[in-house]
Amino acid sequence: MSNYLVYVAGGALLYALGTYGLLARRHLIHKVISANFMGSGVFLLLIGLGNRAEGGPDPVPQAMVLTGIVVTVALTALGLAIAKRYYTATGLTNLDDEPSGGEGR
Amino acid sequence: MMAVFDILLVGMLIWIAVGSLNENRLFKSVVMFIVFGLFMAIAWIRLGSPDVALAEAAIGAGVTGALMLDAVGHLRKRDTPYPAESGPMENADD
Repeated sequence: MSNYLVYVAGGALLYALGTYGLLARRHLIHKVISANFMGSGVFLLLIGLGNRAEGGPDPVPQAMVLTGIVVTVALTALGLAIAKRYYTATGLTNLDDEPSGGEGR
Repeated sequence: MMAVFDILLVGMLIWIAVGSLNENRLFKSVVMFIVFGLFMAIAWIRLGSPDVALAEAAIGAGVTGALMLDAVGHLRKRDTPYPAESGPMENADD
């Protein structure tokens, strides 16, 4: 694996995109999707950097990323459950004080 | 030859992520996120970790997509604004 740097750069770019979405999007589900993109960027960077040595990838980042995927799913489920309860309690789908126009249709 | 494939795959990942974040309709955004998970599984296979690819395809694309589609359906159930005179958590059991 000689062009691992493509994946490292892609992971960094995905992390930046997820940060942009987390800050710029108002809808709660968009925020959760952006957090998932951030996590995927970090995982790509980890496994990409684990492929530097010739002769096969490093198994330690793979184990870390395998654990991280499971933790990400648990975190996503918690966030979506909180978003659903928030909508039940307030009728809002964002963190502003008024319903957002144009999003979430 | 494989360098072209790598660049194309990473470009596809970035393009799908940008499309999912620039989409205002929630359902389309979630579907693009599921497609992103499948392309991510291809990237894991290319990086030589098939177990992570299997976990990503099953969990990252399947379970997370199902959770998000469920949340989108739950947020679409009530189109009118929430009535202010009724107390909170009145339909907490659905």
